[in-house]
Amino acid sequence: MKNPISKYLPSRRDSLILGLGGLLGGGFTSSLQAKSLATNKAQAKSVILIWLDGGPTHYETFDPKPNAPVEIRGSFTPISTKVPGVQFSQHLPQLASIADKFAVIRSVQHDQGNHGAGNHYMMTGAPPRIPVGCGAFVSFHPSMGSVVSSELGAPPGLPPYFSMPSMTRSGGPNFLGAKHSPFVVDGSPNSSSFRVRDVTLPSNLDGSRKVNRDEMRQAVDKFVRFADKQVGDPATAMDEHYRQGLDLMRSPEAQAAFDIQRESDAVRETYGRNDLGQRALLARRLVEAGVPFIVLNEGGWDHHTKIFPTLEKRLPTLDATIATLIKDLDQRGMLDTTMVLVLGEFGRTPQINKDGGRDHWSNAMSIMMAGGGTPGGLVVGATDKRGYAASERVLTPENFSSTIYYKLGIDPAKILYAPNGRPSHIVSISEPIKELMG
Amino acid sequence: MKFYFTVVLFALFSSGLVVAQSSNLKIDPASIELKGQGEQIQIRVLNSKGEDVTSDCQFKSLNIQTVKVSSRGQVISGFAGQTQIEVSQGKLFELVPVKIIQADLGFSPSFEKDIQPILTRYSCNSGSCHGKQRGQNGFQLSLLGFDNDFDFYSLTSESRGRRIFPASPENSLLLKKASGQVPHGGGKKLPQDGNAYAQILSWLKSGQLRTQSSEPKVESIEIFPSEVRLTPSSKLQIKVVARLSNGISQDVTHLAAFQSSESVLASVDADGLVVAGPLPGEVAVMARFMEKFSVLMVTMPLPEINSEIVKSNLPRRIDSQHFIDQLISDKLEKLGLSPSKPALDHTYLRRVYLDLIGRLPTLEESRSWLADTASDKKEKLVLKLLERPDYSEFWANKWADLLRPNPYHVGMKAVFMLHTWLRDSFRKNLPYDQFARQIISAEGSTFRDGATVVVRDKRQPDELTTVISRLFLGIRLECAKCHHHPFEVYGQDDFYSFAAFFGRIGKKGNGISAPISGGEEMFFLAKKGDVKHLRTGEVMKPAPLKGKVMEFSESEDPRKALAAWITSDENPMFAKAAVNRIWADLMGRGLVDPVDDLRATNPSSNQALLDALADDFRKHHYDIKHLLYTITTSKAYGLSSVPNERNKGDTRNYSRHYRNRPRAEVLLDMVCDVTGVAENFPAMPAGSRAMEMWTFRSASEFLDSFGRPDPNQDPPCERSSDSTVVQALHLMNAKSIQAKILSEEGIAFKLAASPIAMELAIEQLYLSCYCRFPAKEERDSVLNIVKTKSQPRKQALEDLLWALINSPEFVLVD
Repeated sequence: MKNPISKYLPSRRDSLILGLGGLLGGGFTSSLQAKSLATNKAQAKSVILIWLDGGPTHYETFDPKPNAPVEIRGSFTPISTKVPGVQFSQHLPQLASIADKFAVIRSVQHDQGNHGAGNHYMMTGAPPRIPVGCGAFVSFHPSMGSVVSSELGAPPGLPPYFSMPSMTRSGGPNFLGAKHSPFVVDGSPNSSSFRVRDVTLPSNLDGSRKVNRDEMRQAVDKFVRFADKQVGDPATAMDEHYRQGLDLMRSPEAQAAFDIQRESDAVRETYGRNDLGQRALLARRLVEAGVPFIVLNEGGWDHHTKIFPTLEKRLPTLDATIATLIKDLDQRGMLDTTMVLVLGEFGRTPQINKDGGRDHWSNAMSIMMAGGGTPGGLVVGATDKRGYAASERVLTPENFSSTIYYKLGIDPAKILYAPNGRPSHIVSISEPIKELMG
Repeated sequence: MKFYFTVVLFALFSSGLVVAQSSNLKIDPASIELKGQGEQIQIRVLNSKGEDVTSDCQFKSLNIQTVKVSSRGQVISGFAGQTQIEVSQGKLFELVPVKIIQADLGFSPSFEKDIQPILTRYSCNSGSCHGKQRGQNGFQLSLLGFDNDFDFYSLTSESRGRRIFPASPENSLLLKKASGQVPHGGGKKLPQDGNAYAQILSWLKSGQLRTQSSEPKVESIEIFPSEVRLTPSSKLQIKVVARLSNGISQDVTHLAAFQSSESVLASVDADGLVVAGPLPGEVAVMARFMEKFSVLMVTMPLPEINSEIVKSNLPRRIDSQHFIDQLISDKLEKLGLSPSKPALDHTYLRRVYLDLIGRLPTLEESRSWLADTASDKKEKLVLKLLERPDYSEFWANKWADLLRPNPYHVGMKAVFMLHTWLRDSFRKNLPYDQFARQIISAEGSTFRDGATVVVRDKRQPDELTTVISRLFLGIRLECAKCHHHPFEVYGQDDFYSFAAFFGRIGKKGNGISAPISGGEEMFFLAKKGDVKHLRTGEVMKPAPLKGKVMEFSESEDPRKALAAWITSDENPMFAKAAVNRIWADLMGRGLVDPVDDLRATNPSSNQALLDALADDFRKHHYDIKHLLYTITTSKAYGLSSVPNERNKGDTRNYSRHYRNRPRAEVLLDMVCDVTGVAENFPAMPAGSRAMEMWTFRSASEFLDSFGRPDPNQDPPCERSSDSTVVQALHLMNAKSIQAKILSEEGIAFKLAASPIAMELAIEQLYLSCYCRFPAKEERDSVLNIVKTKSQPRKQALEDLLWALINSPEFVLVD
């Protein structure tokens, strides 16, 4: 083990024998942190992360290159924004009109060119340890949502980490354990019959039946559990999930937050009567209820073919929803403590391919960040004049995830311990992007 | 590094160990002779027990003009002369004679053999530095140095040659940056007084030569020792030796890169010092040098405990002559682990039904098998299960995960035809080699010959290369598409030679045109078709991996030759990849994990067992049913999941059964069976089982909650086996499950209406859900609840059924 201080500590093995594992590990790391955290007061309480799965193009969003040749710049024209000198691509007019409310990072780059690996790097702040395939659902390190769940905990009666309508590929808890996996809300909140499913008793069952069932279950459940984490017994994870499920069902706060029908038609309309719009609205309700991390997993951003006609249809919805979300949070006084992030695995290739699309490109990407003390109107870094690669203020996914952790008051350099005793930093190189710290 | 001028007179390796007279330390090598300045070798020191004590020793050169030695035993030659190195450990000491001879004049380092290894060793060309796409700060090298031409150009000519300054080599940007004399993002990599710096300087001074192709090449590297047992927290210095094509050997420890397969168990640092952690287990430590690699297997047994009670109560071996049990026992002995007890009969019964045919036994089946006292009742049961139609549905469903294309891509009917083909293959028990051949060389119509749909889906030679090598060889060739895999023997040439087999696939009919491509397409042998190397653009000739180039006439189908090569008995990978996949299905974890990543640097947790299973599979003509029979009738398969004191940390050596959750389709069928109410799937005949579904387009909240893969997700995602809150809530509250429990067609209603005693009704529900009878206390406590609540009989049975389904004993395979 590389941890240089470990030799001054009882070994993990000794700690286990002494029954001090958690105590010692926790106590020690927290004393290490005390100092850095003192200077790192939380700016934000919650994060809404809009994940554009597939890898959104930087050219057609926040990093247009009007002076590049046409086979690179594409068919969209740039537009001016509220911030003098900053341009976005054509189909983001609403965001352009509030560009003073958020920052854009144009210079994060990495070296993972497929979806499985790119998702892992951006969602966990750690590159995958071995080469992974494109369709892969891999986890070598806890996702940001899971770390936030474990570090900040949950509001009463609600899970701390949501993912809608599905979990992202590497959005899992890894060694933090099942209780830090995301609560997935599927279905379409845009539909009039939408309810977060299965969180209430079936309608034809009254409360006393529930009590009977729980008693019956206690009587029936004699299955042996192996509590020692080394064993890796899936039954202990199921218990954890069962308990969380009961908490949810019993929580009036949760039931209220889930009830999107309580929003006025006017509000629902401005968010956009589509799945993304209504999910963003539901996310805002969850933030109001105190949920610290919410991911909206938006599929369909892998534009290898016909990128321009596809985006002409797709971008206006995205534009309207995100702009509405930011304005709404701002008006409610919540933007100061709520971060809104928009990103995907990577950017897309400079050269438009033979099918009129752009392919995977991790040398350049754009990330949008609003709220939680993020300076409005700021553009961090730049790509070269043709958008090939980040060229000024080149940043890594580690810088990005460290920034999120810092803003939430979590020390990204903190050491976490896997059940087998292996130490690992939340982020291996924990340097936040200082311009964004406000 | 001057390979060809260096002679190390005394053997460098363990065979050359000489027992010193003055102490009990053994030094490897016992004496040293080096030619020329700046040569480097590694000293290893063993104590009288043969344990490595190098990191405990002090080293001192008696003449630092002639030779220098670091605190870690790295020896570097200086001026010609003779001297000694003093090696001491506490009171023990030993002298090693050293002789440095003058190097031949006229020697100069050259790029490929002297400079590239330095760039790799110091990670200059790694994926996180200049080796990444587009390089770092404008300076790019090929990833891990796989492209010599590119790297030579990059260093010497690119950016108008600004990186080197021949007139004053010391002022070359290359050296100034690398040594940190001017700011360098990567830090101070090569100190000015170091050997690597001197080598590069010498190369620059002598005119930046390339290595001639006629010069000797590195044929292999060897790691010393190649196998070792370590106690917790002990250390080991490894040594790496390169064998050259001219027969000379060279110590390259200082230029090798190291990596541990599991650094929790044992870590390795940049100089090759292995440090064992506190946990028992096995680790592969890899050394890499110039596209060659070698592996050291480190075993760390669980330390013996002195308690006789623990020792005598725990078995050391599984009591059985079955070859699987023997080989697993050998491994457990080696690691000091004890196997768990055999599982109880009902646990085995439920496990083998769910593992082989993906469904629960009926009440009758459970009753009669549990009552059977025959000694061969397990064998008879397995044989019977393998003849069931459910068998083919279940295994087709598993294979569909690996192959099933997106209907929005290939069309609905094509997906159905592929599924039908898969099901038929398992129904006929098509030998696995024929199964593979039919996919690899699929011909005909997508509306008639289901296997062709794989080719319709993976249309390009590179896509087929990736999927075929992964499925049937267990090799992830996709890395080699763009660069040489750092821990794999295959490079780009291998990838494109393999892809060339798919160059002549003729297509006719309705191709793929989004969004709907429903038509029929035909595949046949085309007269020509080229596959080009991505980097060189060269048209590649088909060649099997590491095999000879093959020529084909117009009428010969390269794909048939490829299929024959892949499935031939002489190809060890084919059977290994197959048995490993099936082993993982039944035993919870692959002998090699992940299952499709077989390579020397990701070794099997039990190599002898993998080999034996593969041999057995070959000998039985790739009969999948025979393989399943062999595994499920071993005692190892039938072990309990309950750990003991000496195996609870084991998750790789099968000392106990590893619990798992059945796939979504199996679990839904289980719910339907125990409630007695079938599910209605859209677009499927009434009464269909989830296992018979052939496309995700039949909607099901249950299946989606439990991780059914959706090939239409963009990009597509693999099956997930995680457990989640959503699953817990779904089982608790879903309307559809509630309806089954309350249904008048359902089992609770029927039992309530029947005249049988409550005790027997309870027993029946236990037996259907858990394949066992309730213990007396269990039955009594259920009866007690019913009595105190004075619940109607029907409600009580409904609640009991709900409770049984909502316990981990139902959801898991124990």
